[in-house]
Amino acid sequence: MTKAYGRSRAWLPLLSAISIAAPSFANAAELNILTWEGYADPSFIEKFEKASSCKTTSTYVGSNDDFAPKLAAGGGVYDIIVPSIDTIGLMRQAGFVEPIDTKKIEGFSDVYPEFTKATDVVAEGETWSVPLVWGSISLMYRPDKVEGKPDSIGVLFDKKYAGKIAMWDDKSSIYWAARLLGFENVYDLTDEQLETVKAKLIEQKPLIRKYWATAGELTELYANQEVWLSNTWTGLQSKEINNLKKGFEVVEFTPKEKAEGWMDSMQLVKGSQNTDCAYKFFSFMLGAEGQCGIVGSTGYFPVNPKSVSGCLKGEEAEAKKVDNIEFVKSLVMWQLPARLDKYLEVWNAVKAAP
Amino acid sequence: MTAKTRKALTFWLLFSVPLAWTIVFLILPYGTMGMMSFWTRKFPLFVPDFQFGNYVILFTDPQYSTVILRTLKIAALVTAYSVALGYPLAYFLVFTIRSEKLRTLLYMCVVVPLWVSYLLRAYTWKIILGTDGALNSALLWLGLISEPLDIFLYNQAAMVITLTYIFIPFMVMPIFTALERIPANLIEASQDLGAGPLETFFRVIMPLSTAGVIAGATMTFCLSFGDFVAPVLVGGPSGTMVATVLQSQFGAALNWPLGSALAAIIFTLVLIVLQISSKLDRSGRVSMG
Repeated sequence: MTKAYGRSRAWLPLLSAISIAAPSFANAAELNILTWEGYADPSFIEKFEKASSCKTTSTYVGSNDDFAPKLAAGGGVYDIIVPSIDTIGLMRQAGFVEPIDTKKIEGFSDVYPEFTKATDVVAEGETWSVPLVWGSISLMYRPDKVEGKPDSIGVLFDKKYAGKIAMWDDKSSIYWAARLLGFENVYDLTDEQLETVKAKLIEQKPLIRKYWATAGELTELYANQEVWLSNTWTGLQSKEINNLKKGFEVVEFTPKEKAEGWMDSMQLVKGSQNTDCAYKFFSFMLGAEGQCGIVGSTGYFPVNPKSVSGCLKGEEAEAKKVDNIEFVKSLVMWQLPARLDKYLEVWNAVKAAP
Repeated sequence: MTAKTRKALTFWLLFSVPLAWTIVFLILPYGTMGMMSFWTRKFPLFVPDFQFGNYVILFTDPQYSTVILRTLKIAALVTAYSVALGYPLAYFLVFTIRSEKLRTLLYMCVVVPLWVSYLLRAYTWKIILGTDGALNSALLWLGLISEPLDIFLYNQAAMVITLTYIFIPFMVMPIFTALERIPANLIEASQDLGAGPLETFFRVIMPLSTAGVIAGATMTFCLSFGDFVAPVLVGGPSGTMVATVLQSQFGAALNWPLGSALAAIIFTLVLIVLQISSKLDRSGRVSMG
């Protein structure tokens, strides 16, 4: 992997070798995947392992900001990463990933062209990622505790619910506050706008019970009666919470300031020794078993409508936006902020504030 | 082979391994950290450089001083509570319990939690302090409250409680050892000379156990100062500690240079604490010769 780094970064592997307990090194037939909770569910990953005779090991991230640090600190471990659409460009620019040979992937041409031709999926005349699944980030609440039917992000800033609100510990908090404040381009805010956003988020802090870091943590916060309101990875946590049957239900809603949209895609890590297995994995995940499997384990939307014709029918297919790519237009699709560092600094400042 | 070369050979045979270990695992990493603290963050990663910008940011942006001061406060509180709880406990074990067996058993009870995963012990407090947790259930059952309170978890108090619980063995152990080493005849002599229990405590026992308190306080302070699990598990929105910021600079923000500069400052702070404690230790030492 040393070759992947420039000479100037020759210190990185050395430093990581001495300062970070060496993680297990990848061996030949084992596919190491850095992905999200639910994306490597045994319900379908076992089928892949059987069919391909490639073993898989998955590590989970809690935020898109986890990919770069993990790869910078000894990238040789991972073969496939699954960042969201706002982060795949960063991975390319940092030199962490290789271009994809789409001809080697079955079903690639059936994927919505809105995704396969999207900015950063295609860049510099090459394809850099394989769309996997998409969805939205909406708001969620407990109807037994929250009055009426909330329809605005403003409910997350309502003093009435002080101590019962949770927000995702992610720079996307800035996007939520910016939309509430009515700012137009939430991915390219001016310094002045960012200051206003920061003040708004700091003002919200006393109302926050906890900034949640993983899907499981948010589920737990609801299950333990800690929170009533939050943003959520639409489909995933609500399903988990309602399955717990704790005597209450949660409901998701799209605020009038719009929900956020994302698309997660698979990227091939530069220097991976397991490209054969990786391409087998890409094809599998775009096929019926992969697409139906991931939709089943996460509640998100499939990217290959053809593959899910067997498992999603009628209302279910409608709920998962099958052949309804128009839905994308109603969402604020994630983009890499024009000034990522500044956004991260603002978010860190919010968290550090008293 | 002359005696001199043999001596040199023995020396190197004996010390080359620990020396190499020190260099590879201590000196080199510190050096790398110090060097990297002068590098520059350049999107998407960072480049070697020599400039003081990272330190300027740390000293001028209030978010860093806020977090460092908060961390110092929490570490100081944890240390104070650990002394307040740990000293009487150690005293009780050494001077009140007469049976040797019982004393060992109770001492083991204090130390045994160290064998349990730190994460698990911190997690336990989440279950105890939560809105739906054991403490609220007990208060509800006793009829002291009618609605569960959410003041116990996800705040700085919860962090202090959790950290005190976790690090208290590090306080009890050195104090226990110090108290146990006080010769019984000194205490008897004090009593024979007409000193009451209080005077014996303040003039004999306490001075002789100061070293233990200082050792325990130093350990408790440094361990809680560098903690990053409690803020994640039981800390609330305003629970960010310095290690959390450090983690985010090496993680999400991917600004290793700024992280290194922050680490260098923490390193200096810890060195200052150690310096103070060794000064106190020396000045408080009583000659028993």
